[in-house]
Amino acid sequence: MSEATALSRPEARSAGHALELRGLSKRYGSFTAVENVSLRVESGEFLTLLGPSGSGKTTILMMIAGFTTPSEGGILLDGQDITGLPPEKRDFGMVFQGYALFPHMSVAENVAFPLRVRAMGKAEREAKVRAALDLVQLDRFAERKPSQLSGGQQQRVALARALVFDPALLLLDEPLSALDKKLRAELQEELKALHRRVGRTFVNVTHDQEEALSLSDHIAILNHGKLVQMGGPTALYEAPRTRFVADFLGKSNFLQGTVRELAPGGMALQAGGTRLVQAAGAGPRPAIGAPALLSLRPEKIALLGESDAAENMVSGEIAAWAYLGAGFSLAVRTADLGEIRVALPAWKAPIAPAEGLPVRLGWSADAAVPVLEDEGAA
Amino acid sequence: MNGGYPAGPFAKGLAWVTVLYLILPITIVIPVSLTDQRYLSLPQEGLSLQHYVNLFGSEAWLGAIWQSFWIALASTALAVVAGTLCAIGCWRLSRRSTELVRAMMLLPLIIPSIVYAIGLYRYFGKLDLLDRFLGVTLAHGVTGIPYVVITVSTALAAFDPRLEQAARGMGASLSQTLRWVILPRIMPGIASGAIFAFIHSWDELVMVLFIASREVFTLPRKIWDGINENLDPTMAAVAVLLIVFTVALLALDGALRARRNG
Repeated sequence: MSEATALSRPEARSAGHALELRGLSKRYGSFTAVENVSLRVESGEFLTLLGPSGSGKTTILMMIAGFTTPSEGGILLDGQDITGLPPEKRDFGMVFQGYALFPHMSVAENVAFPLRVRAMGKAEREAKVRAALDLVQLDRFAERKPSQLSGGQQQRVALARALVFDPALLLLDEPLSALDKKLRAELQEELKALHRRVGRTFVNVTHDQEEALSLSDHIAILNHGKLVQMGGPTALYEAPRTRFVADFLGKSNFLQGTVRELAPGGMALQAGGTRLVQAAGAGPRPAIGAPALLSLRPEKIALLGESDAAENMVSGEIAAWAYLGAGFSLAVRTADLGEIRVALPAWKAPIAPAEGLPVRLGWSADAAVPVLEDEGAA
Repeated sequence: MNGGYPAGPFAKGLAWVTVLYLILPITIVIPVSLTDQRYLSLPQEGLSLQHYVNLFGSEAWLGAIWQSFWIALASTALAVVAGTLCAIGCWRLSRRSTELVRAMMLLPLIIPSIVYAIGLYRYFGKLDLLDRFLGVTLAHGVTGIPYVVITVSTALAAFDPRLEQAARGMGASLSQTLRWVILPRIMPGIASGAIFAFIHSWDELVMVLFIASREVFTLPRKIWDGINENLDPTMAAVAVLLIVFTVALLALDGALRARRNG
């Protein structure tokens, strides 16, 4: 990055760069790893590519980084085509899975590496390294070797090394997957704070839906190499478009029914002997008599007392339950809707769960969301 | 290794016999080198260092040692550069054809050196390389390449390819990646290969017999002539020095490996 432009436009330092993927595909022989993925990351945004293993998310990241050549499509940075640029010319920072720190260099030497490559003067280099280590609170560990650091510290060194040269973009390949759960939660918060502080565009790859929800401005959900849905964490969680998205991002019950009535604000479904009322979703309006699929989150279901009523009610009995500290997870067996999972806060729970206990479940018309069956699914 | 079966008395005994069988013929030259006699024999009445004195006073012996040393050094440099580049190239391309190249590189190890020497003799005659420092260096350097290819390939197999990706991702060119990331990581392998290539040249005799005569007179050649012409115990003293030198090099190799694994 030229320092001159950065100085003349102070706001440019915090703006980051916008990235666009246009119809990106990658085939290995007859196997399609990524199929026609188009998306846009605005400058300064934190985008997460989320998907199960084999969904093509890492392949996309490797194409952005330049280590993998797309079979079709293009990659644009601020509107300029960079598809054919080799990785060393892209000026992207990257945190690799397992960090890929240079074991024969000290922490400071690792962080100084991208500056040394750019033939930066010693004094300036040292100042930048110190600032980068300060940023990740590792200034005291500058002289250590990576093998003398804990996993979380190594991860922070990798971050400092990826950020020290003011990259146009920061790419993160499962940056937290090697850490234990508690540390992961801590570093999630740190990573988020870091993103806010440096104001750069981050592209993160993970299979961990909690990580994606807590870190990202936008999430792109991938399955079998295709982009299934992209949006903000809340939008994706609250309004999943397909069964896969609802199932992969958080937990969900799926209710199957037939459309019986249509009204401007919603519809009524018949599922066996149970009538369900449902607010209209964002998707296309179904026809009367067509099958419909609803996604219903376990935490949006209430246990009804004797005299309580809700727009949707169903009776059943507890088939299984588990205590999770903060709450109970109940599996309620119902006649018409199959087994329904319910998340019940444990604090002042209205019932003491027991197997075989009869319960009544209720939820409002806007609790569930109509979703589409996945393409290719039966 | 922990957790294995403890060795029984028979296995232990066999192991010691094997060790003695390997070491005794080598150690026999030590008392012989200290003999007080004028011919190759065990000491009769007392120990004497006269043959060592003779060795270090003899221009012929010292000349042979120096010549061997310089040839070994130059051929090691040749083998290290060529072998390392070959191993890195094969590793980076990593196709079926590179497997073939790697197998070909091992040929000098597999082909009997006398066959190799005959071939060299015919070629070097035409190229005017017979009995020349350059000729012997080339011959030793090329036959030393397999040692370097093997040790460097082993080191590269343990090299995390993501380190190379990381370096390139941070803007490093190929030569920067090579100098700052790949070479430092595989340096122990290169050093091992260099030590073996050096030892290979240092005690090589068969090729030297074919392609050198008067001008180039290496230490093994001198010992060989000494055995054929007169049974001077100075040879035993030289042999002891050779053993000490080789053991020192192997110890250095062991130390380098220990540091790499530590």
